[in-house]
Amino acid sequence: MGGYVRTTSQSSALLGGLSITHPVLKVLTASVQNHISRFSDCGLFTAILCCSLVENFQRINFAACTVTKISRHLLSLCTDYLKSEACGCRISVDFDSIKTLLSLVHSVLASKPACMLNKTEANHLSTLVLKAFLLTIPHTVETNVVLGKCVIVPVKDKRVMDSTVFPGLLIEIPESQLARTFPVIRVSSSTIKMALFCISLSGDLSNIGEGTVIVHHGISLEVAVLDQLLNLGKQLINDQVGLVVCQKVIHPSLKQYLEEHRVITIDRVGVSMMEPLSQLTGSQPIAALHSVSPTCYGSLKDLRTESFVSKNFLHLIPNDTLVCSLILCNRNEMAWDELKLACQTAEHVLQLTIKQPLALLGGGCTETHLASYIRHKSFTLPASVLKAIDCSRTQYQLVADAFSRSLECVACCLEHDDGEILTDMVYGHFWSVQSGFPSDCNWSDLVLKCGCGICSNQQNLNWTVLQSQCIPFTP
Amino acid sequence: MASAASLDVGRLVQEAEALASAVRGALGPRGGQMLLTRPTGETLLTRDGRRVLEALNLGPPTARMMVACVSRHHSMTGDGAKTFIILLSKLLRGLQAILDKREGSPFCEDIQRRESYQKHCHSLKQISQSLMTFQTHILDHIMAQDLRKHFLSAFSSWEGEISRDTMESILEAYFCGRIGNSHQKLLSQLSCDFYYKCISFKNGRNEMLNLVNEYFVELHSAVTGLPVSNSRILEGFVLHRDFAVYCPADGDIRMLIVTESIDSALSASGLEFVVNAEVQYQASQVWITKRTEAIMKHLQNNNIKVLLSSVKQQEIVIYYAKISGISIVECLSSEEISLLCKTTGISPFIPTRDNICSEITETMIAKFCQPLVLGSKRYVHLGLTKTCAFQPHCVIFCGPVHGVTEQHASAFHGAFKMLQQLFKAVDLSDGCEAQPETPVNGQQLKTSMAETEKQFIDFSSLVGENPSCNQTDLQKSADLAMPIVELESDFMFSALIDRGSSVRELQKPPVKCQHPSETWIKNKSEPVVTNHRICNDAMTAIENTSTSVVSKQLNSYKHTVQSYTNVVIQAGSVLPVGGNFEILLHYYLHSYAKQCQQPKITLISTVIADALLSIPKILYSTTKENSFTQVFFKATSALQTNQQLPMHQQGLESVYCKYQLVASVLHCVAKLLTIDLIIGIRRLPQKTEVNDSEEDL
Repeated sequence: MGGYVRTTSQSSALLGGLSITHPVLKVLTASVQNHISRFSDCGLFTAILCCSLVENFQRINFAACTVTKISRHLLSLCTDYLKSEACGCRISVDFDSIKTLLSLVHSVLASKPACMLNKTEANHLSTLVLKAFLLTIPHTVETNVVLGKCVIVPVKDKRVMDSTVFPGLLIEIPESQLARTFPVIRVSSSTIKMALFCISLSGDLSNIGEGTVIVHHGISLEVAVLDQLLNLGKQLINDQVGLVVCQKVIHPSLKQYLEEHRVITIDRVGVSMMEPLSQLTGSQPIAALHSVSPTCYGSLKDLRTESFVSKNFLHLIPNDTLVCSLILCNRNEMAWDELKLACQTAEHVLQLTIKQPLALLGGGCTETHLASYIRHKSFTLPASVLKAIDCSRTQYQLVADAFSRSLECVACCLEHDDGEILTDMVYGHFWSVQSGFPSDCNWSDLVLKCGCGICSNQQNLNWTVLQSQCIPFTP
Repeated sequence: MASAASLDVGRLVQEAEALASAVRGALGPRGGQMLLTRPTGETLLTRDGRRVLEALNLGPPTARMMVACVSRHHSMTGDGAKTFIILLSKLLRGLQAILDKREGSPFCEDIQRRESYQKHCHSLKQISQSLMTFQTHILDHIMAQDLRKHFLSAFSSWEGEISRDTMESILEAYFCGRIGNSHQKLLSQLSCDFYYKCISFKNGRNEMLNLVNEYFVELHSAVTGLPVSNSRILEGFVLHRDFAVYCPADGDIRMLIVTESIDSALSASGLEFVVNAEVQYQASQVWITKRTEAIMKHLQNNNIKVLLSSVKQQEIVIYYAKISGISIVECLSSEEISLLCKTTGISPFIPTRDNICSEITETMIAKFCQPLVLGSKRYVHLGLTKTCAFQPHCVIFCGPVHGVTEQHASAFHGAFKMLQQLFKAVDLSDGCEAQPETPVNGQQLKTSMAETEKQFIDFSSLVGENPSCNQTDLQKSADLAMPIVELESDFMFSALIDRGSSVRELQKPPVKCQHPSETWIKNKSEPVVTNHRICNDAMTAIENTSTSVVSKQLNSYKHTVQSYTNVVIQAGSVLPVGGNFEILLHYYLHSYAKQCQQPKITLISTVIADALLSIPKILYSTTKENSFTQVFFKATSALQTNQQLPMHQQGLESVYCKYQLVASVLHCVAKLLTIDLIIGIRRLPQKTEVNDSEEDL
């Protein structure tokens, strides 16, 4: 009894939580999970397609190697078609206009119903994710483009609409520190020097070695180390450093000494923050206690404090934004986890889009379009190809039909309200209608818009019920 | 606490057949895949017979012995595990039939006085002995005398180069058996590319193959979640670590290998560090830091850009490296380090008081050294400029699940093991090439032969007169047998055996040699190496005339030449796939058996010949067009009329691997049959002292 309850619509969470015993299913789920780990999105699509392919291929009951050969050829048909310029179900993403990018993000977020977003929230969040992503793109383009980082800062029990994006980094600090910090030492009005340490400044002894160290009575190594630390502090103050950040712990005495000289100290930031911090400020993590090279220091434009609900943050504002912080709010822990995953997925999808600025039609239209393309192709295949595969035309057509059915099956899964699915005979798009329509009515009265929203009922398209027996056409 | 049981051939047959049935379904190009699941939940798709057999977790010790034999054979040749176990089961079945017959069997003669159990044991020993005799003498003889004329050469020109087409058909046939027809084309292309990219010059072939096989783990990486078609070959090495520090550098990048920490600790092991004053402690800390800084500055002054370390370096080293513009890769495995040392010929750098100021010489130069993202992992991609016979390249295997990439990787590795075997030759020159200074003339060979022969008799009498030897004894005697056999196969005088006469008399150099070996007889005192070369030249000259490997007609001249050279299997000998080797060997064994004077050998040859046919039987059981009987009939009638064998499939396979397979199976059977008693010990054997103390108690 009892235990953790999770509501989710993410394949990664779903498949991770299931305990599967059947070996074939194990292979299937493992491949879906590996797919998600590379591409973040479309895990459920992959899983449904795999299952229905297995199901449909089993139904036609051919020798396994024949099915493999034919489906390999079908796959190459699909990929070649999707890669070709003539492809009717893909659009190129234009990075000059925000519209396509926004709809890309929106469709990722909207496809995760467990995030419990309403329309305005989804729109707001899509804008934020896109804004955050655009902030991580460097201004100058060199040969090796390295994207910046978007750090997601959790703020639970606030409304989704309170989420916001800051350029730069937000580091949480205790309230007690807030009062003591300002004003801070500046080199000039718009420059604050910063030192970033990756070693512990706590004063403990390091790297004693494998041998023995004998300490005479009355000599304290701790005092010796603290002495060194305070000397380091002196050097930092002389170098006009305004902010000291340490990955590990700073000795309280050193902290106090620095704060007395109006230097802000932040410790225990953790290893995950080190990369964005050094990227943001241009500082190099320092690992020496003495003779710190001044070239290691970084610089900031400004420092501010921000507070959200009960949390206080130090806002590090850089000269050149490559790092940004997305403050993500949601009502409870579970919904927040779901939302965070969805935002990360959307960010990854955007990153992949930069590599290849192409997008496919959503709303089931790609699947139905591709299915009709494969059906059409299977009827016009030259005999030489059949000979190379070593199968008959009927065999090929049956496998191709099973393949198309599986694709359509994925599209059918998009219809949740017990409706009927139509497809048109011109573009092969996906049209959803209410069930229980009279058999003699005009299709164009029933349909409004296709799944992706590109076609409307104004065009006189020849509709038919999906997966009904029909003549193949050229999409 | 031990239970003893005598060896029952019926049980052996049952065990071998059970094992064979486990892998039979995956044999041949139309065979299926097997899915292994581990208790931990991992799954592995495989067609690898060895993988399946090893995963079975068997109880009977004899079955475990069989699997061990399979594994040993597989790890050597990279292929043939399934064929091995099927052949073994058929052979055992055949031998069992002989034993059951009793009456009139040559293995049951003149032993009437003994009791039935001993009689049984004795006949088993006799069979085992005859098998060994067969393997060491008759098999080679048949290979050299009869099968040779059917062999094709993989080399297209007389310089010993192998053409891409041939390479592809060999590899394609190999992958067809190992992973089925789903990705065989892709993998054979990949391995073919890899072979030609890695080889820097022709003579470095063996060195390259040795390196690839030894360091295959370091030379490949797997990425899951990407389609298999994304698998590719990268130039240079992929070190399976990320940069601790990365400083981009252009041009020729000087690199250094270190195997210990650059930063020195306060005290070394076995030494004491006495702190007298706080100032002293601080000063020593400063000194350590300064020393590290000095070393890194020294490296920078020597224009070192990358430091490859086998140990984790201190943060202070990382810090100074970053300042000095030196990249560091740390925690490299010892294999990676030794691979780098071997390909570049440098040794690791050890910072000491002396060399801290002198110039650094042990460096390697790289064209590039940059981060590489594979899947979700970041690696180091390294392109070396000056290397040995091996041009560094590595393979990236992509697949939906780990099980698939692992399968492809192991098949790829197996392919290179197979290639290594392909270029091996079984001939006289094997022994001579190792010591070219010592001329091995006919007289010497003869004496060495006589010695081996003596040893062989000793060994057989030992086995024959000691019927109560248990499994450990058997192990010993088997070990004894191995070096003898190896020695014999090294010198390969067995090619000199003539057909029809008894084994012992045969070990004289043949005097019936005709052209081109006539030269050999004239220069009998000359090193054999030269003879071999002459023969080789003659052969390759003829091969030049038919450059196409799958030539339909081999001219008869080639036949005569091949049958008189002293080579059993020439390097690079291949045969078309599809059970051709088995059918050929079957045919010639049968004809040998008909003329053989010794009843034991006749019987053994027949049994082996029949067992060999089981492989093509399975291969042709699933195809529609060609049934086994048709194929076999066509092949036999072609052989009887001295025609070229009809071919049904594209693809070639190494003769050496097949030859090894038959030899290993015979060894395995011989080993199994010499077992007298199986003693099951519940406890691990303990040392004698422990036993003594227990008795005292």
